[in-house]
Amino acid sequence: MSDWTKDRRHSTEQDRRSNGPSRWSNCRKRGVDGSLRAGGGERENNNRHPDERSSSFTTPESTGPVSRCSMASDWGSLVQEDEDIRRDVQRDMQRRRILGTEVAQRERKTSSGSSGSHDSKDEDNIETDEAVLLRRQKQINYGKNTLAYDRYIKEVPKHLRQPGVHPKTPNKFKKYSRRSWDQQIKLWKVKLHAWDPPAGEDQEETQDHEEQLELGDVMDIELDFPTLLPPCAAHSLSVQGEDEDFSGTPVKLQKTEDVEPGMF
Amino acid sequence: MENSTDDYKIQSLDVDAQKILKTALKDPSAVNLEKVSNIIVDQSLKDQVFSKEAGRICYTIVTAEAKQRTGLVFRKNLLNRLQQEFNDREETRARSLHAWTCFVTFICNIFDYLKVNDMPMVVLVHPVFDCLMRLGQPDALMNEEEVDCLVLQLHRIGEQLEKMNSQRMDELFFLLRDGFLLQDGLTSMARLLLLEILEFRAGGWMLSGTAHKYYYSEIAD
Repeated sequence: MSDWTKDRRHSTEQDRRSNGPSRWSNCRKRGVDGSLRAGGGERENNNRHPDERSSSFTTPESTGPVSRCSMASDWGSLVQEDEDIRRDVQRDMQRRRILGTEVAQRERKTSSGSSGSHDSKDEDNIETDEAVLLRRQKQINYGKNTLAYDRYIKEVPKHLRQPGVHPKTPNKFKKYSRRSWDQQIKLWKVKLHAWDPPAGEDQEETQDHEEQLELGDVMDIELDFPTLLPPCAAHSLSVQGEDEDFSGTPVKLQKTEDVEPGMF
Repeated sequence: MENSTDDYKIQSLDVDAQKILKTALKDPSAVNLEKVSNIIVDQSLKDQVFSKEAGRICYTIVTAEAKQRTGLVFRKNLLNRLQQEFNDREETRARSLHAWTCFVTFICNIFDYLKVNDMPMVVLVHPVFDCLMRLGQPDALMNEEEVDCLVLQLHRIGEQLEKMNSQRMDELFFLLRDGFLLQDGLTSMARLLLLEILEFRAGGWMLSGTAHKYYYSEIAD
């Protein structure tokens, strides 16, 4: 082998070693053995920078989202959960289809030519890709499966919620770029932290939070989250492969080098 | 059309076990499904032939159970047992290469057959890759038995696996290229198997006509 090829091989090896398993394993909430990772795995995460956030979003001050109940890590339950999420998403899609026509009819009746744009009701602005919807639903579930969320919905009934002040679940049916969506989820969860139980309080079993399918989850009737990027910029960003990493973990922004300064 | 139970290659099981399985295939609610899943897993770890076919048995039982609407108890038991074995795989490998390769064959077979909504179960993707990566390690490549197992699985499920996670497939093939090129002490058979799988994947998970001729034709003297 010539010297040139030897060097080339050598450097590729090194690149691969440092980028290897830890790149994908960082995103996983569970280790390979199925156990939940707290904030990092065992062998695979040696390369992680000490300041790096754990795979669940956290604000700097808190220790992490307080889960109401531990999500299952055994394969039997995980498969069941995946099936359940899929069923829920399909149900949501169906409801949306039914409700969509109703709301559209209502609006036509009361239409006054106002400037309010409801273009998300246009067919081309609705997300229909099931894989995307499933992933988004999982991310939403992670946020809702927290004590903070339970306390929030008890404390602030829907009709008292103020846009901007109170967290609003991102609408999974709207078209967003991958980055925009992930960002919304992240900000939503950060906002929910305001309702974290005070440290030291007994984490009593809250009642089982039935998935209250709120109208807002399938339709966007109130004002939405402000678009975080101007639409043209959002579309020009390379959207990460939508089919990657289906393991049941919250997806965070993975390519931190893409983040523009001042983004946060 | 019912598959005759001969198709499932259960002859290697003892008579009682065979009886339970036959019942499970038709009427899952009539048997202890935890026991059934244990029988299947245990046998798969012993019998190479069985481990290649166990996926189909499991699929039939799961489908039958779904029809009965009693909940998917069998699948849950099977997966959790599989998970246990997966967690213990390093010990298994140390104890018996045969049991280890049987396990890998089995879990890949399950991945292949036990689909959910026509897609492989997501929860198995990383574990399967972990097993294959293990087989691609230098110490494993020294054993023809393990190399053989590795390429067999890739032939059977490589394409599907890659669709689920192409990044890990790339990583696996980095390992295999390294092994092929750099590793001393590989048998020529091992190298042949590796070269063939490298070409197989490069060809879009199939061999070109000429490549197929090279690897699979009898060599005329």
